[in-house]
Amino acid sequence: MEPRLEWQRGVITAIRPETPRAKTLTIRVPDWMRHRAGQHYDVRLTAEDGYQAQRSYSVASPPERTGLIELTVERLEDGEVSPYLCDVAMPGDELEVRGPIGGYFVWEARTTRPLLLVGGGSGVVPLMAMIRHRSAAGSHVPARLLYSARAPEEIIYRPELDRLGMTDPAIQVVYTFTRMTPPGWPGYARRIDAQMLREVSAPLGQGALAYVCGPTLLVEAVADALVGLGWPPVSVLTERFGPTGSTS
Amino acid sequence: MDANTQPTEGDMTASLMMDGNAVAGLLMEIFGRDMTIAESECDGCGADHMMGELRAYVHAPGVVLRCPDCGQVALRIVASGSFYWLDARGAAYLRLARQ
Repeated sequence: MEPRLEWQRGVITAIRPETPRAKTLTIRVPDWMRHRAGQHYDVRLTAEDGYQAQRSYSVASPPERTGLIELTVERLEDGEVSPYLCDVAMPGDELEVRGPIGGYFVWEARTTRPLLLVGGGSGVVPLMAMIRHRSAAGSHVPARLLYSARAPEEIIYRPELDRLGMTDPAIQVVYTFTRMTPPGWPGYARRIDAQMLREVSAPLGQGALAYVCGPTLLVEAVADALVGLGWPPVSVLTERFGPTGSTS
Repeated sequence: MDANTQPTEGDMTASLMMDGNAVAGLLMEIFGRDMTIAESECDGCGADHMMGELRAYVHAPGVVLRCPDCGQVALRIVASGSFYWLDARGAAYLRLARQ
């Protein structure tokens, strides 16, 4: 039997800005349970009048970091939860959380298949948990991260991703910018399409496993394109969220 | 969405759509276990999908899960007072691992 999922009071121990719109909250969880990379936690806020709002956020930290979770939260203008988490919450505050949740969009480091990760915007968060889990567990499976963002300053985890691309020859990080490109940018500057996916995934060869996470339209386009390129649909795992959505 | 193209109504609906992973917590509340890897068969077209793959519409006073292939409503869930209401007539079956 799985342990029953209960709400518990976590404590925020640190808040780190990632981009102008996204912050990472480190939360100490009293009844911490080892999560799987890609799983999420629900966060619940209760107003003084008893009104409750809850959202689901992917865990960014790897399971090897015990006792705590990191949630990266993108601030949505009309959100009910993310503005509080990004603007009001402070280290030392308590936060109601429950998790880990979800067994579908998960990756285990013992998997030996090459790995294609495709993320749009804050869809990179569960993929980052997979990348960190891969490193922490000492996995050397070939991996590619294709990360679509509107502009360079919106890349979450950029220093860590750039460092990773330089220190681990088995992993390659590829960015594409859809709105604004730095001067002289030699890389991709368009939305993800079939040609880009073919170029990025070609070195992985046959038998790779793809994880795609981001806004619904991006996920649909990427999953369709991969299947069009000959990927078996069962090898393409997806997680979608809407613009005011409950995942990130 | 490009800044210079007008979204169509279909795009707007599509952009509000999520998937079953987003309601994994609610499903776990009801079923007491992870349901994203439970298989459901669409009563309309017969397609089998993990519940994490179903399309989820959560911007309503309840949750609607639809078949990704044909769009038929598989499950509707409303939490009201002390009860959950779960209408699963669009699912031919749910298949859960024994534990």
